[in-house]
Amino acid sequence: MKQVKTTNFGDRFFSFFTFCAAMVVLVSLAGIFISLIFESWESLSRFGFFNFIFTDDWNPVKEVFGAAIPLVGTFITTILALLIAIPISLGIAVFITEICPSKLKAPLSIAIELLAAIPSIIYGMWGLFTFAPIMSEYIEPGLQFVFGDIPFIGPIFQGTPLGIDVLTASIVLSIMIIPFISSIARDTILLTPQVLKESAYSIGTTEWEVIKDVILPYSKFGIYGGIIIALGRALGETMAVAFVLGNRHAFPTSFFDATSTITVTLANEFTEADSNLYMSSLYLLSLLLFVISFIVLSFAKFIVHKGSKKWNG
Amino acid sequence: MPGNKNIKLYSKNLSFFYGNNQAVFDVSIEIPQHSIVAMIGPSGCGKTTFLRCFNRMHDLYPGNRYQGEIFFDNQNILSKNIDVTLLRSKIGMVFQKPTPFPMSISDNISYGLKLNGIKNKTEIKDRVESALRSSALWKEVKDRLKLPATGLSGGQQQRLVIARALAVEPQVMLFDEPTSALDPISTSKIEELAAELKKKVTIIIVTHNMQQAARISDYTAFMYMGKLIEYDETNVMFTNPQEKLSEDYITGRFG
Ligand SMILES: Nc1ncnc2c1ncn2[C@@H]1O[C@H](COP(=O)(O)OP(=O)(O)OP(=O)(O)O)[C@@H](O)[C@H]1O
Ligand SMILES: [Mg+2]
Repeated sequence: MKQVKTTNFGDRFFSFFTFCAAMVVLVSLAGIFISLIFESWESLSRFGFFNFIFTDDWNPVKEVFGAAIPLVGTFITTILALLIAIPISLGIAVFITEICPSKLKAPLSIAIELLAAIPSIIYGMWGLFTFAPIMSEYIEPGLQFVFGDIPFIGPIFQGTPLGIDVLTASIVLSIMIIPFISSIARDTILLTPQVLKESAYSIGTTEWEVIKDVILPYSKFGIYGGIIIALGRALGETMAVAFVLGNRHAFPTSFFDATSTITVTLANEFTEADSNLYMSSLYLLSLLLFVISFIVLSFAKFIVHKGSKKWNG
Repeated sequence: MPGNKNIKLYSKNLSFFYGNNQAVFDVSIEIPQHSIVAMIGPSGCGKTTFLRCFNRMHDLYPGNRYQGEIFFDNQNILSKNIDVTLLRSKIGMVFQKPTPFPMSISDNISYGLKLNGIKNKTEIKDRVESALRSSALWKEVKDRLKLPATGLSGGQQQRLVIARALAVEPQVMLFDEPTSALDPISTSKIEELAAELKKKVTIIIVTHNMQQAARISDYTAFMYMGKLIEYDETNVMFTNPQEKLSEDYITGRFG
């Protein structure tokens, strides 16, 4: 687009100001990236990037640091949280927009937005003091009882259900991201043109078929957008998970195993890092999270953009 | 009025209320089978509201209320125990703006078929093709059936929507200003299509275009302020209207 040249001082000042404001974003992004590289350099040159990623040892005493376990922990909790949160959020959004009586709409929407406003440390504390005991006493033994003996999936329900584990952390995380997905899903569902729904009804569809085949496909890309935001949230979420995941440096083999994520390791160990290499390795972990978030989010955005262009014109 | 023709659909003292706001007043009208009935009248006179009574579209919104009766094949479709979903598959509707579903061209049509329990792949394929042929769209889209329907032009989209409605083999089609968003060429294609369709279905079409009503319809109904003022054969209506109001409207003295 061609810029319109203006001679008015106020206009020029204003456009200069907005330009500076926009530059702040780029400069801080670049600044953070550069300082992460700088700080993690010692660890990076010692272990090498790929070696760091694939090493499953995290041993400050022997000064061996590898990211494999926190990486896997991050992916598992994020994916599980999304798997739990997506169907629930869609249910909430569809209920609010299409099914619930109009008197309930506003209170429900507000409740969900309040859920998003709760600081994550409160989720963490609630998870530790209220939810984890419930999990270990009722839910996890129940799951173990039902699924524990089934071939193939049985093993992932083994172990002592202590409540501080992958499953609890993923559920707490999912509760945190439900508001993001459901409120964005609600907004995009509301954008479905009334006449599109009516034309579906007009060929003899039921309410459920209209939701499933017209409303959800139509708002699909908006919903993906909400999922992306939630994904970003879940990848980087620290406090809610730190309390209920355990920070154990071992791969989880069951839902009831404690493990660690990148953020949990960072939160727990920054104060303990007593050597330069230890500190630098923690920085390398953050760099890794930075890069992963960046790649995942840009890739997801790209897909959404391409898809919505193709199908929604 | 329409002599001793076979009556497919008729309303008896039909009134309609949006909440407390009455929009249709005591309308009785008979729609002969295999004919095209045009509904004309100034903006806001209740044509859309009236049309949407026939497939119970108003049921979707709370507070709406019908009064009177509509008979379709001698069954009162306003009665409580009517299966509205089934009714809507027999009485199709096409709206002012084209409304393709967010699916491919062929899926837009096969969707309704699958809803009606047709599972056989070859049958679906054949019926998609015949629906597209009967809406005169087949030649234009046969090489891009798998592409998104939103990529079609407005006129093509509207014919796709007609094909979609036809695929479930309705007996009646309701058109609410189907060409008002289209260019003249697309408009005349849809008019030709309507003339062809009436061999198979009974058509009610709302239009603001007097020439269109005169060109394609067999009967014309003139509505004013929610009331049916006059209803007659189209050529009588346009050459020798009985009511002063209809004459004024048709000759463009108000509207
Ligand atoms: N959803 C609604 N709620 C309340 N009143 C409505 C609603 N829809 C229409 N009306 C009112 O009902 C009357 C008839 O409207 P309708 O849309 O049926 O007119 P129309 O003849 O189709 O007009 P147009 O030619 O502009 O499409 C108008 O007075 C309108 O304001
Ligand atoms: Mg109208």
